Amino acid sequence: MVFRREVFLGLLLFSIAGCSATPLPPEVKLAEVQEQSLWGAGATVYAPTEYDSYKTGLRKAKELLLKEEARLKWFRQYWPAQDEYKKVLAKGERVLKLVEERKAEKSSSVRARLQLYANRVETSGRLSSLINEGRLARRSLTRAEILIREARALYAEGKYTEAEARLAEVPEYLSAAEEAVSPILSRFVDKNHIVMWQRWVEETVANSKTTGAYAIVVSKVDRSLILYRAGKPIMTYNVGLGRNGSLDKLHAGDGATPEGKYYITKKLPRSRYYKALLINYPNEGDRSRFAQAKQKGLIPRRVGIGGLVEIHGGGKDGMTYGCVALENMQMEELYSSVGVGTPVTIVGAIDHKSGIAKALGGS
Amino acid sequence: MKDSLKISTLGLVVLALLFVVGCAKQPTEDMEKANAAVSAAAAGGAEKYAPAEAKALKDSLTAALDEVKAEDAKYFKNFDKAKGMLTKASADAEALKGTIAKKKEEAKQKATATQGEAKAALEDAKKLLAKAPKGKGTQADIEAMKADVKGLEDGLAEVQKLFDAEDYLQAASKATAIKDKAAGVSEQIKGAMAKTGKK
Repeated sequence: MVFRREVFLGLLLFSIAGCSATPLPPEVKLAEVQEQSLWGAGATVYAPTEYDSYKTGLRKAKELLLKEEARLKWFRQYWPAQDEYKKVLAKGERVLKLVEERKAEKSSSVRARLQLYANRVETSGRLSSLINEGRLARRSLTRAEILIREARALYAEGKYTEAEARLAEVPEYLSAAEEAVSPILSRFVDKNHIVMWQRWVEETVANSKTTGAYAIVVSKVDRSLILYRAGKPIMTYNVGLGRNGSLDKLHAGDGATPEGKYYITKKLPRSRYYKALLINYPNEGDRSRFAQAKQKGLIPRRVGIGGLVEIHGGGKDGMTYGCVALENMQMEELYSSVGVGTPVTIVGAIDHKSGIAKALGGS
Repeated sequence: MKDSLKISTLGLVVLALLFVVGCAKQPTEDMEKANAAVSAAAAGGAEKYAPAEAKALKDSLTAALDEVKAEDAKYFKNFDKAKGMLTKASADAEALKGTIAKKKEEAKQKATATQGEAKAALEDAKKLLAKAPKGKGTQADIEAMKADVKGLEDGLAEVQKLFDAEDYLQAASKATAIKDKAAGVSEQIKGAMAKTGKK
């Protein structure tokens, strides 16, 4: 009987103590949820140091909790762990805010770089087309464009750091493309060159004005041929140039279009390219430059100066071997207007506000 | 006398129970097994192919080890729950290995398919280029597009390198970019050919 009473008292005491045990602080569960949110928000990527520090704090709180849980239920005091958890939660809020801020910054910076690089690809592509030198730049530009496309897709998925990694490779290809065309481009924005070309054009136009005759001016950068009469422009045609048309012709086979003051030496009514106007390339200046280059060993010994440079039909969308090409209908008009002896001045650019100068951001 | 015997018996039973339970040992074998399984799963590309699952697995292992720690600090130790958690972590790690292998295979299949599409798109562009007018005409454009094709070929070579390195996600992303660009080049070539009337 006494034994039964003792057992009963023991069970009663145990039950009372069990019921009065302190429950786990709510901060414990909240911290678990917060930690998952931080990870999901990308804390390991955008605030790794702060996240590590947060995790250390969380661990410390957890250790305190474990220590308390090791005690018998009725001796447990959760407030030290609870205080630690509260600190962790406050820190977590700050880290989460930081992650969001850094993520927004990254998004903005990647978006800006995407735009910047896309613009540079577009500009370099346009410039290389302007000077007919797409083949020099486009291989590198294509590599850059592939990376930009990849980065754009990753950006759309919110993978900013991966997008950034792709963009980090772009400048290498952009520089290669820009370096390939910049020596050619630089001629078209060089003041000394432009002043010389302007003088040639002014002299040609002044002569046309004085004599009342026709004169032709070809501007390479504008890909245009202007027909003057009595010093006034009466027609402008779009033209195509040589394979290396943006360069000044130096020797046979270089595919360049000559720059200088020439005149029509012969009219060819039946040409391979519809009709043609032969000009007097090489002139005296061309011969002198050729001789100097030969002397310096810049031209192979057996290579001649070249010739048979024409203004002809066949279509302006072409890549000639150094000639100036027009659409057949326009060639017909031009052919019927001009005669042997008509001055033909070919220049790189007429003014400082050429397409290339504009594209390069020059004045 | 009878009562004191009962009390002594009860005391002995309690002491024996305390001895048995209090001396329960940490499930070290289960702990080591779970640790090794989780590490092995993580090393198999979990971060890349199943990051959320990998995180959940690591968290469950930490929880199991915490449970061991908590019990170990008690006088009345009972590692049954911890053992169950460790066994589950080991099983989850094995399952994750399977999930990763599956996801990796899926990524490989996708990369293979995209690589094939990119190659086909590039071949289309090259065929069109071969048909494009020679000599004068649209030669400037054609030469520029040939350079585009070379750039795309360079890109495809990179895709192969990524593929060989088993980086299937990046291989697929690059191949997609190449495929789209190649399609753009084909359109440009068609445009250039249309200008000359060549079909």
